[in-house]
Amino acid sequence: MRSRAQGAQEGSARPEISREFIAVHKRRRIMDAIAELSAEQGYDATKIGDIVRRAGVARKTLYDNFDGKEEVFLSAFDAAYEEVTRRVEGACAAAEGDWDERLAAGLAALLGYVAERPAMARMCLIEALSATPAAKERYEDALGAFVGLTGRIVPRDERLPETIDETVVGGVAWIVYQKVRRGEAARAEELLPELTEFMTAPYLGAAAADRTRI
Amino acid sequence: MEVERLPRGRHGLSREYVARNQRERVLAALAECLYERGFAATTISMISRRAGVSKGDFYKQFESKDACFLQAYDDAVAQFHEGTVAACEGEKEWAAGVLAALAALLDLLASRPPQARLVLVEGLRVGKGVYDRYQEALLAFVSHLRAGAPAPAGAVSPPAATDEAVVGGIASLLSRRVAAGEVEQLPDFLPQVAEFALAPYLGAAEARRIISER
Repeated sequence: MRSRAQGAQEGSARPEISREFIAVHKRRRIMDAIAELSAEQGYDATKIGDIVRRAGVARKTLYDNFDGKEEVFLSAFDAAYEEVTRRVEGACAAAEGDWDERLAAGLAALLGYVAERPAMARMCLIEALSATPAAKERYEDALGAFVGLTGRIVPRDERLPETIDETVVGGVAWIVYQKVRRGEAARAEELLPELTEFMTAPYLGAAAADRTRI
Repeated sequence: MEVERLPRGRHGLSREYVARNQRERVLAALAECLYERGFAATTISMISRRAGVSKGDFYKQFESKDACFLQAYDDAVAQFHEGTVAACEGEKEWAAGVLAALAALLDLLASRPPQARLVLVEGLRVGKGVYDRYQEALLAFVSHLRAGAPAPAGAVSPPAATDEAVVGGIASLLSRRVAAGEVEQLPDFLPQVAEFALAPYLGAAEARRIISER
């Protein structure tokens, strides 16, 4: 997405880059359109004709930018994932205080994104699971990346199960999934207090046990 | 499949026995085909051949591959669920029941790799409303976990979403491990998933004590 930033900065001043800005903007409209449509009617039922109509672009524009429907979907997923990761990592890094504050800030950023982009969230958390094998793989990789991110933030404790980060993140993903599935993505931030508590508890519990033992 | 089903309602007619037997074989064959090559590459001819029935017999039982798939999915879920619930019925203590149930579930999954993969991995890739079934199956486990769980008391008070997050987290871990081809090693994860399940209610120390005594 380097080109988008460039276009945004210089687009108004120079007409030939403004064309690039428009192209990037169209790409984004196409990706937003597939998110909305697959959230509304499912991936399978969404046709190229629906996407170009919703995005307000010519069919040729879509094919100039993407190989076809699957590439639109995967590109939209990748863009959303990039955006979420950027926000979550940024929030974790910016949070003051201990690891639990950083974890809570990251979780808040994630839920904030879900609330702000319900259709994109639905596409990534629900439609991606069954759209195509490549989409499901993207989802699994993203989940794995969040497991890794969590593992880098929480304190190490060898008494905890080796798989604790995986189960904790899987549990959070499941709760968010259900919220989105109920059509309540816009209210995802309601989940923040209980999910923060659920996520931090195993690691806090270990810390508390340490103190009791000493 | 090794499980012999009880007659459903009508008895005595050997033609019905044959039909039922064929149905079981077709469902088992579908799970095996999916296990080996995935849903898309599995054809009705392959399923019929493996089950040792004619294509005509297949269509007497199921109107399509999808219908056969959904039935196989529901059957596999029902078997895992029944086996898990039966295992904890003899236990008086809630924690011992959860432990017994998890042990039974992991053993069952490991003893039936095609069905485990059908429920936790391949089925979910197919879509077609399978996520509704998956969600329903998980919610059934949630209500069992919740029944008899110790009431929040003192320092240990799990957040509201705990039951669902615990079940969702375990399902996510199992699904990832089955996808990674580790279905036969699932019983090794018992201490880890049991601690993840019990610690939110009992605290980590008590959870570990109960698990180590098993």
